[in-house]
Order: sequence, then structure tokens, then C-alpha cells
Amino acid sequence: MATITPAQGELQVRTFQRSPLSRMRGHLGGMWGRPITQAVAKALLTIYVTSTITFGLIRLMPGSPVEIKIDELMQGSGMSYADAAAQVSGLFDINLNAPIHEQYFEYLGNLAHGNLGSSFLSRGTSVMSIILSVLPWTLFAVGTGLMLSFIVGIFLGLFAAYRRNSLLDHAVSTGGSIISSVPGYLIALLIILIFGIQLRWIPITQMRGAFTSGITPGFTPEFVGDILFHASLPITVFFLTHIGLWILSMRSATLAALEEDHVTVARARGLSDGRITTAYVGRNAVLPLVSQFAIAAGAVVGGAVIIEQIFVYQGVGLRLVASVNQRDYPLMQGIILMTTVCVIIANLAADLLYSKLDPRIGRAGGATNK
Amino acid sequence: MTAATGLIDRRDVSRIPAPLAGLVEFLRMMSKKPVGLIGLIGVLFFLFLAYIAPLIVPLQDAVDVTAIYAKPSWAHPLGTDFQGRDVVNQIVYGGGDIITTAILAALFSTLIAITFGSIAATVGGRIDALILAITDVALTIPQLILLIVIAAIFRPSSFFVLAVILALLQWPALLRQIRAQVLSLKERDFVEAARSLDLGLLHIIFREMLPNMRSYIVIHFIIAMTLAIYAQAAIMFLGLVPVSGKNWAIMLYFAYNQGALFFKDSFFYLMGPIMAIALFQLSLVWLASGLEDVFNPRLRS
Amino acid sequence: MPVLSVRDLSIEYRTRRGPVQAVRDVTFDLQQGETIAIIGESGSGKTTLAVGLIRLSPRSARVTKGEIRYDDGKRAFDVLSLDSERLRRFRWADCAMVFQAALSAFNPVITIWEQFLDTGRAHGMGDKHKVHDRTKELLDLVHLDPKRVLTAYPHELSGGMRQRVLIAMALLLDPRVVILDEPTTALDILTQRAIIDLLRELRGRLGFSTIFISHDLSIAAELADRMLTMYAGRVVERASVEDLFYRPRHPYSVGLMRAVPRVSGALGSVVSIPGSPPDLIRLPPGCSYYPRCPFHIDQCLAEDPPLLQVDTPNHEAACIRWEAVAAALGSDAEAPVAEKLA
Repeated sequence: MATITPAQGELQVRTFQRSPLSRMRGHLGGMWGRPITQAVAKALLTIYVTSTITFGLIRLMPGSPVEIKIDELMQGSGMSYADAAAQVSGLFDINLNAPIHEQYFEYLGNLAHGNLGSSFLSRGTSVMSIILSVLPWTLFAVGTGLMLSFIVGIFLGLFAAYRRNSLLDHAVSTGGSIISSVPGYLIALLIILIFGIQLRWIPITQMRGAFTSGITPGFTPEFVGDILFHASLPITVFFLTHIGLWILSMRSATLAALEEDHVTVARARGLSDGRITTAYVGRNAVLPLVSQFAIAAGAVVGGAVIIEQIFVYQGVGLRLVASVNQRDYPLMQGIILMTTVCVIIANLAADLLYSKLDPRIGRAGGATNK
Repeated sequence: MTAATGLIDRRDVSRIPAPLAGLVEFLRMMSKKPVGLIGLIGVLFFLFLAYIAPLIVPLQDAVDVTAIYAKPSWAHPLGTDFQGRDVVNQIVYGGGDIITTAILAALFSTLIAITFGSIAATVGGRIDALILAITDVALTIPQLILLIVIAAIFRPSSFFVLAVILALLQWPALLRQIRAQVLSLKERDFVEAARSLDLGLLHIIFREMLPNMRSYIVIHFIIAMTLAIYAQAAIMFLGLVPVSGKNWAIMLYFAYNQGALFFKDSFFYLMGPIMAIALFQLSLVWLASGLEDVFNPRLRS
Repeated sequence: MPVLSVRDLSIEYRTRRGPVQAVRDVTFDLQQGETIAIIGESGSGKTTLAVGLIRLSPRSARVTKGEIRYDDGKRAFDVLSLDSERLRRFRWADCAMVFQAALSAFNPVITIWEQFLDTGRAHGMGDKHKVHDRTKELLDLVHLDPKRVLTAYPHELSGGMRQRVLIAMALLLDPRVVILDEPTTALDILTQRAIIDLLRELRGRLGFSTIFISHDLSIAAELADRMLTMYAGRVVERASVEDLFYRPRHPYSVGLMRAVPRVSGALGSVVSIPGSPPDLIRLPPGCSYYPRCPFHIDQCLAEDPPLLQVDTPNHEAACIRWEAVAAALGSDAEAPVAEKLA
């Protein structure tokens, strides 16, 4: 056994004498201050509060799912109330008559295990699996639209800034401003109305839904082509909804970057305009936009609801509206939670990304003093 | 500069001066950037349309089955709807509800944001931390989704209730802004002067700091209106709110669900409300943009 | 053959109130290996002039007349006549400019090495290793550790280090002319000392000609061979360093000398010049120094005085009363001005 110095020994004794709580704090003490720990803690807190709020809100909804289902059965198959009630009672495996706080704790307990419960209406199907089956569609459409709008918007914004006050600049800026003011679903309706109905350029009836039912899923070009066909309108709408923001943001960021001293110095150094535009102006201008992008990505999942409704695109939004109408509590809770988690992840990603891209933040260096 | 006169001198930002001279100056500044002026005209036009026009034009509510989805004609400049009613008439009568609700919602959210933002910034400490934490959580939850759920729960039929609900979702962003502003203003001389004169917290907030933030508040009020309209149209379109009454969003709901999409002649039944909403939003945004320039002291000569 | 010959250079800015005559009829020569200091107060036009020499003025500025002749023995041309590509190649390779060592002189998101590489590549040094070797050589010359500096980002270096890096970068392409704009203003006094010594050492080794702009007369005294005093956009005196310090002939130069506190001077010997520079948009007729000048007479208002040869060789002053100034100072060339006038 290695000998320990008196100092070490003293330290060991002292540590042992402290209460377990303070010992634990001592361990965590180093970690507590770090921003990532704080961010994660905040995230967990938000998730907790969100789940509680949604639980509470949903239980406040008039009309329990049981009643609705009973109504449905009575109207659909002409059953008597008693028969319908009997059938329905076997349907739901959550005891809706238990006191509310019991339900709450059961809910929280499940949540801690990552179990979102089962859907009321499709007995036996876990909420998680339902969400996982619709989320990718939404993410695909939204993600593609957002990314395209970012890339195109960045270039247009840069362009407009370089040709400041020219006709092109005014056209691009005004266009961007107009498009960003109109709500996304109105743009969707306009597209359908003008290009689909009046001009008959787009076969909108065929484009409903996320995919044509006849085609077998797989990585075949046929299937992929079909997906793109169906997703093209939603993607276009997401593209148009956001591009205005990127154009205007990039334009103002570029104008600011062009004023920076180091750009003047770069020109004095005889650097080519191309190099200056990309590495000196562009990179500095785009920096704040990247985290804006991450945040928008998180938020846009929620905004897709109406657009999916209009195009009957089977994504998360569509499912949510259906579950609201059917009072499918677990599914509603699950979707709200999921979307909130998306936002949280996106925000964390935004912070992380920014600190990675901007060397002034996060690097352990810092100016040495002479 | 003594403490007393200092209170008068410091209005360096957003000062809309008294009566007529001020109005002329205001219009002059707006006309420098046409966007703002166009926005102002647009907003005034729609306000007129929504509030004054209904007093002039009689309501045409009769169902006329013979004229369903009639083509645009002199009698019906924008055609008719699925029950034979005139579209133009509906547009005239359709603005009031939406705009009133939007104004109320913006008012409520602005009030909440100002109150709690100022309190958070001036009092500081734990209360500040608490308010900030609540705000952050509120900001994280996707607004539209929460709105959908809330709308389905409460089924608001009066626009007052609807306004309250909408306001509840919009205050976080403005609150952070107000709080940041107040934090920076707190350090300024005139606040120090007011404090040394023992003028009391409420006086300091409402008589000293808020006037300096007038520009923020007005602009955010307008933006809050656009968000409220966006949200209203969304939930009405989805049919989550009892579809009684008439307004542009409900027109959209009916138009969409009564198959107006598939008839060539009913084009304006859909286009009408879409354009009304879109143009009003646009006017609001442009007005806000114009006001931003007017309020920016650096752009004044 | 002077390396740089500037003749009647005039630059104006467009502003809302009207055109600002920031630089008016500036004429001077820069000889091979010579160091010229351009001195003046804020707004005298010295920075506009410096930046104008490499045509880097902002978009609102215009050269209204003049020429900037560059001649390094192998090529000769008027800088103002270069097209954009040749101008780009002229910049840094023939004439480099060292700006103030502010953090914002560097691109914050790329490393120092990349910025050297960019500079080299822009001027046809395609071989990365060659650029690297030359960079290391220069960093050694400015007494910096290449390993530490090259991998760093600008915000990780101190102000003194950044200034040295800027100097090293300026010498990358072995330019014939180096312009320095307030090279030591942003630095503390110890670092200033170091930079001044460094500049002297480099100049001795590499033999480039220097123009430096400053409002600090002591630097001029240390480094310059000749000096130009600028006031309200014009050159008001051209002289060797000794002549300007001991035998100034323009009242403004005299005022400047009196305004510098001297270690050995009597306590009351520092006097600032009363009044302020004229409005460069609406310039009054005649000599622009008239309102603040203790030697003025009515004749001074008639027209802007040209540079007149004074009583020592290679020494001109834009003042019709230079003889009176000389008389007031006395003909004794030895005693420093401030003490004389105390």
C-alpha cells in the first residue's frame, strides 16, 4: 500500500467528516459552473414544466375520449349507450376514473422511463411508435425547405448587400420583406389557388398525401421520386415562408461586416475580391445566422401544422390535429412534448454550433497580457 | 444640470411632440422612406374598411341558393359564396372581429410584458430570476401547437377570451426586450436622479423609463398584432374555434371546406379573404418598419 | 530618383452638407531609404492622405487632381492610373500599409497563419512552404515566436504582439515603401519603445522607405529624416527633422513645438494653440491658419500661401510671414524652440 503524505491524509479525513451532501456537491462543484451542465439542467426543467402543463391542460378539455368514442359507436353502429359503454371500457387501458394526481404521477413515472404511453385510439400502439412514424415526414419536408431557403437566402442577401441601393437590392429586399410578412399557410393556399386551380399547372389532387399508396417503400428511385413529388409543394411553401428572413438578415449582416476594419486591411493587402467576400466578409456575416437557423429549425416543426393540413401531408402536424379532435390524450401529450424537445435540442445545437464556429468564444485562450 | 431640470432634458429618443406641428413632422419623416408611408395608408384603409364601412354598407346576409358561387358581376364584384351571399359584403364585415381581437391581444401582451419586464429589471434578484425562468420556458414551447390545444379546450367564442389566450402566448419575447432596455436605462443618470429624489418605484417605471422605450413598445405592439392575426386565422382555419360570426378567417374555413377550391368561379371567395389578411399583415409590417426609421434618432438630421 | 513623388494631390469626400476638401494640393517626395513623418492634428487630412496613397479611401472619397508617381528603378507609373488588377498587385507588394494594432485589423475567424498565407497567395506565392519559411523569417525578425503566433487567433494575442505581426505581414513581399498609420498610438509606453526600436532595426536591415503618420512628435524625432506638417488638408511645412524642431518657419509648426512638454523645460513652457481647425466644407479664403496665427496680417487673407523656400536648404513653409517667424525665434540655430519662447 502506498504511503500517503500527511497532507493527503488530512484531506481524506476532512472529506470524510463532511456530510454526504456536501461531499457530493464538492464533486459536482467543478461541473456545476460549466455552461453545458446549466443548459442541460434548464432543458430538463423545461421538459418537466411542459409535460406538467400539457397534462393539466389536456385534462381540462371538455369531452373525455371515452364519451366521444361512445358517441361515435352509437351513431356509427346504432348501439345503445349501455352496449357502447361496455365496449369502450375495455378499449382504454388507462383508468380514467382514478384520481387525477394518481394519473399524474403515473404519467411522470412513465415519462422518466421514456415511455410516452399508448394511444387511446389505436390500442396497443405506443405513442412513441406513432410519433416516430410521422415525424420523419415532417422533418424531411421542413428540413429540406428550410435548408434550401437558407442557402438561397444567404446568397441573395450577400448579393443584395454588395449591390447596395441598386435596383436589384431594392427588388430583393422588398420581395423578401413581402414574402416574410405573409403567413405560410396563406402562401400555400395561394399556390394551390393560382397555380393549381386557375392555371392548372400543378396536379394538386394527385399530390395530396405524403406518398402514393400503390408504391412499395424502399430506396428505389421510383419511391424516392414519388416522395419528392408529394413533398414538393410543402417544401416549396416552407422555402418561401422563410427565405425572406434569410435574405434580410444576411443582407444586414453583410453590410455590417463590410464596414469592419479588417476588410479594409484585407484590401490593402491586395487580396482578391473573391477571397475577401468568402473568408473575410461572408464568414463573419453568416456567423450569427447559423444559430438563427438552428433555432428556426426547432421552431418550424410546430408551424408545419396547418400546411400539412392543407396538403394532407401525413406528418406530425396532421396527426396532432386528428388527435385533438379525437381527444387522444397520450398522443397529444406525446406530440407536444416531442416538439418541445425538438425546440430544446435545436437551441442547444445553436449554442454549440456558434461556439464552435466563432473562435472568440469557448476557446480556453484569451489575450495574454503582454 | 440639476436633478429637476435633468428630468426634462433626457428625452433623447422617440419623442412624438404635441399636436399639429408634431403630426406634420411625423408625416414628413415617414415619407422619406415610402415603405412606412404605404404601410400607414394600408393600415388606415383596412381600419376604415373594418370599422367604418360596415356603418355605411348594409349587411347582406340572405341565403340565395340560386346564386351559389356566381361569377363576378356588377351586383357581386367578387362573386358569391357557397350560400349565395356577396363576397365583398363579407369582406367588409369580416375585418372588425379579427382586428379588434388582434388589438386586444396585442394590448394585453404588451401590458404583461411591460409590467413584468420592468419589475424583473428594477427589482432584480430572485424575482428577476423567477420571471426569466418562466419566460424561457414559455419561449421554448412551440406556440402554435400550444395554441391549438388551448383553443380546443376553451373553445373561445367571444373575442375577448380569444384575445386573452393569444396574449398569453406572445408576451415572452417582448418581456425580454423590455427587461433588457430597463436594465440598461437603470444605470442612466436621470434614473439615479429620480431615485435620489425618492420618487418611488412606480413613478420611476412609468414616468421615467417607459417614455424612453416608447418606440420599442409601439413597434412591438404592431408586431404583436400581426402575430395575433396569424394565430387567429390559423385556429379558425383549422376549425378549432366555434365557427360562428363572420370574419376573414372563417371565410377561409368555409371556402376551403365547402369546396370553393374546385370551382373556377369561386376564385374570389378564397382570394378575397387571403388578400385581405395578407395585405393587412403587410401593411402592419411596413408601418412598423417605417416607424423604426422615424424613431431611430440617428437617422434624424 | 525618389521612390514616391506626390504632386498636387487633392482628395475630397462627399457628405450631405457638401464636399469636404480633406486633402489639398499635397506635394512631396520620398527618397529611397528615407523616412518621412507626417504630423498634424486630428482632421488635418493625414490619414486621408496615407490611405489615399494606395487608393483605399472609402467610396465617398474622390481624387480630384494630382498624381502619385512610383518609381523603384525597374518600373515607374502613376498609382492613380492603375486599373483594379494592377492596383491590387501594387498594394502590399510595392507599397504596404501598417494600420493601428486594433483587434479589428485582423479577420477574427481565421488564424494568423492563414492570413499570412492569404497575403502570399494573393501575390502569386503559390508554394505554401515558401510562404511559411518567409513568414517564420519575418516573425523572427520582429522577435515573435512563430509556433505560438501562427496557430493563434487574433483575439489571443496582445496589442503589442498584434502590432509586430502586422509589421511582419507588411514586409512579407519586400515592399519598397511602407506606410505606417499611428503605429504606436494604441500601445503602452514600454511597447511603444519596443516597436520604435524594432522599426529602426528593420529599416536598417531591409532598406525600405517609410512614411509614417502620427500626432506624436517624439516618434518623429526618433525615426524620421524629414517631416511634413499638415494643417486643414494642406502641407504647411516641409523640412528635415532638425530644421523643423529647431528652426520651424510656419506659425503652426511653431505652435506644435510649443505644445509639447519638455522634460527639461520650465513649468510654464507648454502652450496649446487656441481656437480650432476650420470647416473643411466652407473654407474661408486665404490662409486657413489665419484665425489662430499670432503672426497674421491682412495680406494673409488674400490667397492661400504657396510653399515658399525659407532660409535653410530643402526647407519650405507655406507662410508669407516666415521671415517674421524666423526673427521672433532668433537666428541662433542651436537652442530648441520651446525654451526660446518660454
